[in-house]
Amino acid sequence: MASAHSDHGHGDHPKFLAHHFDTPEQQFDAAKFGMWVFIVTEILMFGGLFVAYLIYKGQEPSVFIEAHRRLDWKLGSANTIVLLFSSLTAALAVRSSQLGKKNETTMWLMITIACAFVFMGIKYVEYSHKFHDGLLPGRYFTAHLPEHAHNGQVLPQRANMYFALYFMMTGLHGLHVLIGASALGYVLYRNLRGDFSPEYFTPVEIGALYWHLVDLVWIYLFPLVYLVG
Amino acid sequence: MSDHSHAHDDGKVHAHVSPFLFMVAIFGALVVLTVVTVAASRFDFGSANTLIAVLIATAKAALVATFFMHLKYDKGFHALIFVMSFVFLGVFLLITLEDVDTRGRVDNASTVRMHERRGEQAPGGFVLDPRGVQARERQPAGGGAHH
Amino acid sequence: MATEVAGAHGHDEPDHLAPYLSQEAGRGVKGWLLTLDHKRIGLMYLISTLLAFFMGGVFALLVRLELFAPGRTIMSAEYYNRAFTLHGAIMVFLFIIPSVPGALGNFVLPIMLGTKDVAFPRLNLLSFYIYVIGATFSLYSIVTGSVDTGWTFYTPYSTTSQTSVVSMVLGVFILGFSSILTGLNFIVTVHKLRAPGLHWKRLPLFIWGTYATSIIQVLATPVLAITLLLLAAERTMGVGIFDPALGGDPILFQHFFWFYSHPAVYIMIVPGMAVASELFATFTRRAIFGYFAVAMSSLGLALVGFLVWGHHMFTSGQSEWATMLFSALTMLVAIPSGVKVFNWTATLYKGSIELTTPMLYALSFLVLFTIGGLTGLFCAVLNTDIHLHDTYFIVAHFHYVMMGGTVMAFVGGILYWWPKMTGKLYDEGLAKISWLFVFVGFNTTFLIQFVMGSKGMPRRYYDYLPQFEIYHKVSTVGSWLLLIGFSICAWVLIKSLRSGPKSPPNPWGSAGYEWQGTESPPVMQNFRETPTITRGPYDYHLCTDEELFDGFPEDLKK
Repeated sequence: MASAHSDHGHGDHPKFLAHHFDTPEQQFDAAKFGMWVFIVTEILMFGGLFVAYLIYKGQEPSVFIEAHRRLDWKLGSANTIVLLFSSLTAALAVRSSQLGKKNETTMWLMITIACAFVFMGIKYVEYSHKFHDGLLPGRYFTAHLPEHAHNGQVLPQRANMYFALYFMMTGLHGLHVLIGASALGYVLYRNLRGDFSPEYFTPVEIGALYWHLVDLVWIYLFPLVYLVG
Repeated sequence: MSDHSHAHDDGKVHAHVSPFLFMVAIFGALVVLTVVTVAASRFDFGSANTLIAVLIATAKAALVATFFMHLKYDKGFHALIFVMSFVFLGVFLLITLEDVDTRGRVDNASTVRMHERRGEQAPGGFVLDPRGVQARERQPAGGGAHH
Repeated sequence: MATEVAGAHGHDEPDHLAPYLSQEAGRGVKGWLLTLDHKRIGLMYLISTLLAFFMGGVFALLVRLELFAPGRTIMSAEYYNRAFTLHGAIMVFLFIIPSVPGALGNFVLPIMLGTKDVAFPRLNLLSFYIYVIGATFSLYSIVTGSVDTGWTFYTPYSTTSQTSVVSMVLGVFILGFSSILTGLNFIVTVHKLRAPGLHWKRLPLFIWGTYATSIIQVLATPVLAITLLLLAAERTMGVGIFDPALGGDPILFQHFFWFYSHPAVYIMIVPGMAVASELFATFTRRAIFGYFAVAMSSLGLALVGFLVWGHHMFTSGQSEWATMLFSALTMLVAIPSGVKVFNWTATLYKGSIELTTPMLYALSFLVLFTIGGLTGLFCAVLNTDIHLHDTYFIVAHFHYVMMGGTVMAFVGGILYWWPKMTGKLYDEGLAKISWLFVFVGFNTTFLIQFVMGSKGMPRRYYDYLPQFEIYHKVSTVGSWLLLIGFSICAWVLIKSLRSGPKSPPNPWGSAGYEWQGTESPPVMQNFRETPTITRGPYDYHLCTDEELFDGFPEDLKK
């Protein structure tokens, strides 16, 4: 317990160690602990949207089922695989930086960031279809009008609730993808600069944890929004 | 807190390094579970649909958290706070659902029909039917449009 | 240790052994605005939260002045609505929530833990600037039409009001992130940066309270963020999630809002309790009775606080089952609160009580919080609440908790740690006079509101029936006394800054860790060498006379 501040007389304060930490382990633990607490806040934030979604889905199951058929589950599945794969590469980036393999870390980080862009690209395709079909949130929703009939059917106007939640959940998630990709970009820059070693790879670990969170949210979002309706 | 670190007192970072193939195998399991959840959505289990989707998603999330996020090799406390976030979310969801599902059950006289403007039943609104919520859910979609 | 690091950085690197207020610790404006030092950030929080308190106070005085007589007194009903909304929103989001954790917590917490800084100093500074940005957005709404929804932003009115709701909501959204980051920082600091020997059972109760508060901040604030995002989407795109006309459920907004804002009540009061615990220990010269129970009751409040949000919604039309459930759960809050109040009272028993100004504020806290807490139980009982809901009884109840509780503790805490923060002593005599005005003024303003409310005067009303006039008049006069009290208090602090005598390291003779081994004001890295903790924070029986009374000024010795 409380192993803090135990190195009174030591002279080896490495460059990466901030002055208020005593040991690299303490700094690493603090950073990781902080990230886990932050993950908790993110889960509760997305959780709020999931609660709203589940409540309205329970209220009007038939409308939600009808509305969710307008989503493309194939694109959603493809995005799921992309994100899962990027999670794997992020974890492998951590592994290679732990082993001090700088070039390998660079490769895994680049693949992870590339996956983020593939994800956003697929998202863009999906969104533009929705925009085209008038499947927009709130007062911009026009899919109940005859000109937007899909296979001869129009959605009830109440389906705008589904798309409002769809856009907010995927939009907020997409924002997190962009933030995560930027964070990993910064980690990549620092890796290329040669900041990391088997003694110090905290930013890679923290960046990867954040990226896994983005993946976690999507793991719940995909079946609930794309598959069950 | 730092019980785990008692083995090493040198103050250096000692993190678990996962084998490469093991990580790939976890990814494989995640892909399989994705296929399972898509396949499961083809069948109608009635009201269990959402539950099944959430359970499969939780299995996937558990794999990611345990192995990709290293919770298995991490301090137990990190796993605890991670799980606690779901517990608090569960409290929020369950009590709110409890309210929404039981409105108007006891004091039916207080029921009002919202959504007058469009003449549809509001999801959050009450119904005058004494059978309450169940009666509303049995109505077909858009069925309230003629009131 | 610090000197070894210095070489790696530029020549602008602050001197870690210089007093933190000195030029050597950081030069000029840049040395303050870009500082990573928790003490300087704490002081910046102190100044900004006091500014917010001033602004919120002006709106409160305006509201009270308008209610001095029935009908129009100084402003129209539209402006009255805006005034009470801004009073509430500023006091809650800009003042109380960041006050104790941001200002006092930032300053005191790392020193109490025997560490040099919080775990993430950059995040700490970021958190302060997020606060500034959020405050700017909130205040921007004042010049762009203001807000008239009440601080709760209830839908559907907030989605249709013509006032500047989006700007205010965005501001509060941003302020939430500041709150989250501060909480996160404190949690990690408490876990990872305790001095050697400072195990959990030796943590000062201020740390326990701040820790519990941080847990609530981290768990609840994200839900507020999403609520406000939904509200903003509702206003800008008409998504209808909370709008009954579009198929939404306005009561769901209240669930979302109170799932944050009820725990937020504990974000506001638990730090007040934390400060009060420190004051009681120092000025009774003994350990807090039932230390462990008081510590655990903070965590208990944090936990129970998440289960009772629906008691704000008894008359909203939520399900009767939920209402009964929430009413029963709300009673649980009385348990940890009671544990605290009884233990503090037991601490006073046979303690050598010294009635300094901070102690007077702590005692006021004890009395006023007890009144506020017990009247809360009235409101938790369903049938009573139907009568009391949205009356001045509620207004009086939460002002007794928020102002009688947190503000009293906050002012007491400022005065208590003032010598440590500034290195200056203040005029105790004048401070006691200001306390008298504040205490009497507070009770004049709010005690009578219980009576007025129970007789049926609704809150937030612009006009009232003639029979309520006398109550409103008394209440308004009380608000003037409060103004006088806080003005004297401000003068005391300004006078101390300009010409206060230099403070010894431990002017109160306290055994608290933050008074031991630090200078007044502390050096940049807090301690010249890392302390090792060998006793509890209130173990007066283990302290030597030198530890308690070294450098004690003659005029304070009595």
